[in-house]
Amino acid sequence: MEKVDYNYAIVRSFVTWSIIWGVVAVLVGVIVSLQMVDPDLNFPPYLTFGRLRPIHTNAGIYGWGVGSIFATFLFIVQRLCKVPLWSNGLAKFQLWFFNATIIASAVTLLLGYTTSKEYHEMEWPIDVMIVILWVAFAINIIMTILKRKDEQMYISLWYMMASLVGVAILFLVNSAAEPVSLFKSYSAYAGTNDANVHWWFGHNAVAMALTAPPLAMFYYFLPKSTGVPIYSHRLSIVAFWSLIFMYLWTGAHHLLWTPVPDWIQTLAMGFSVMLIAPSWGSVFNGYLSMNGQWHQMRENYLVKFLILGITFYGLQTLQGPMQAVRTFSAFIHYTDWVPAHIHMGTMGWVSMIAFGSIYYLTPRIYGKQLYSIPLANLHFWLILIGQLIWSISLWVAGVLQAGMWNAMNPDGSLTYTFMETMVEMYPYWWARAIGGVIYFIGVLVFIYNLVKTVGKGDEESSEQALAEGRA
Amino acid sequence: MDLASLIYLGVTFGLFVIFALIVIRTYSKKRKDTGEIAKFRMLDDD
Repeated sequence: MEKVDYNYAIVRSFVTWSIIWGVVAVLVGVIVSLQMVDPDLNFPPYLTFGRLRPIHTNAGIYGWGVGSIFATFLFIVQRLCKVPLWSNGLAKFQLWFFNATIIASAVTLLLGYTTSKEYHEMEWPIDVMIVILWVAFAINIIMTILKRKDEQMYISLWYMMASLVGVAILFLVNSAAEPVSLFKSYSAYAGTNDANVHWWFGHNAVAMALTAPPLAMFYYFLPKSTGVPIYSHRLSIVAFWSLIFMYLWTGAHHLLWTPVPDWIQTLAMGFSVMLIAPSWGSVFNGYLSMNGQWHQMRENYLVKFLILGITFYGLQTLQGPMQAVRTFSAFIHYTDWVPAHIHMGTMGWVSMIAFGSIYYLTPRIYGKQLYSIPLANLHFWLILIGQLIWSISLWVAGVLQAGMWNAMNPDGSLTYTFMETMVEMYPYWWARAIGGVIYFIGVLVFIYNLVKTVGKGDEESSEQALAEGRA
Repeated sequence: MDLASLIYLGVTFGLFVIFALIVIRTYSKKRKDTGEIAKFRMLDDD
């Protein structure tokens, strides 16, 4: 077989930097969770909850999430297409421009420059940087796919291309703004149109950055880890297209009970419920791929990460549509239930898949066996327990909060003041902070394991590494 | 129903038709083997 000169150096660099930004994201998350229980931990003007919270979300989504997407896509595209990257120079430019963009975002957010649009807080000069970054990435991936050796494209490539196109469209439309100075711009849209476009972007950023890419990773790394193919490639294709057709209509479910027209809200609600089908198409495909292989959940640490990841995806995509129903939304919207939902997706689904993927990659891109499988298992349990403490405590908090907000006296006055509802939240907020600390310790175990792996002296063949990955 | 609503409905229906065609093509008996070949090829030694 002809030996292909794959570029693993760029994959190694992206793995490293995505982990660095992941540490920042989780650490800042722990800090802001502590600021919620002890306001004295706010140090104005820079280190306040208001400025640190967007750094937490952006470092998590764009630094850790997108960084690990860059790493895995650049690996997967070469292996699936059986050709080297189209341009190594462009990939190197992408790496350093990625880091420059993340640093510029963090600095400007700390300084208080913000559009105030959630998940799109960065001002217009950084938007321009993000567009350049994404175009460079997209060109390299698409050109590599075009020179592939197999005509039939595996499902991961479809999800990768959808992500490239989807993010580009969403970002460009939502970025439309009129700059009035170097660090201030105003949206091109007004009022409810602005809100509608913003949440069309916001929810579909979840689709195209935090759903399609992890699915690409899951569909690639699960069969590679188990050694058996996915249950049905055709089911994955139909689930893919139905996800693409349905997702883009759902954004307005973030705007239920607002001045946005009722029919838009109803449309978003309907499509959100329909979205269960494609989501669970992938979940079932994952589970059915494990037929006869469930023993690997016990024996193969990679499978544990990947199957728990897809399980959280399944739970997330049941809970999400439920929240998109008007009556349920009326109860839980604006409560702590919502961040619990988001964190089951980010810490449970996306991060589990990313961790599993990086564990798969590391022996192959460094040519060394993983330092310690027991430590990988410890990492798994710490992040699982941390995330569950975090999510469950805030689901309970959200229901309690909603109940207290809605409680009324016989004369129609509110039973509780807002401050009384706040005081009731403290035990749950402490539980969230503790869950965050446990998760952070899990991340430190992960890093220690990888650092020790990379520092090991013994080089080995990819076959040995593969065998080790299944051990 | 005004023109904008009709266009909206038309686009929605058009998208549904495209989706239906994708499903029919994906699950056609003629394409059963080619539709599944990629999942085996990705496991080849690369």
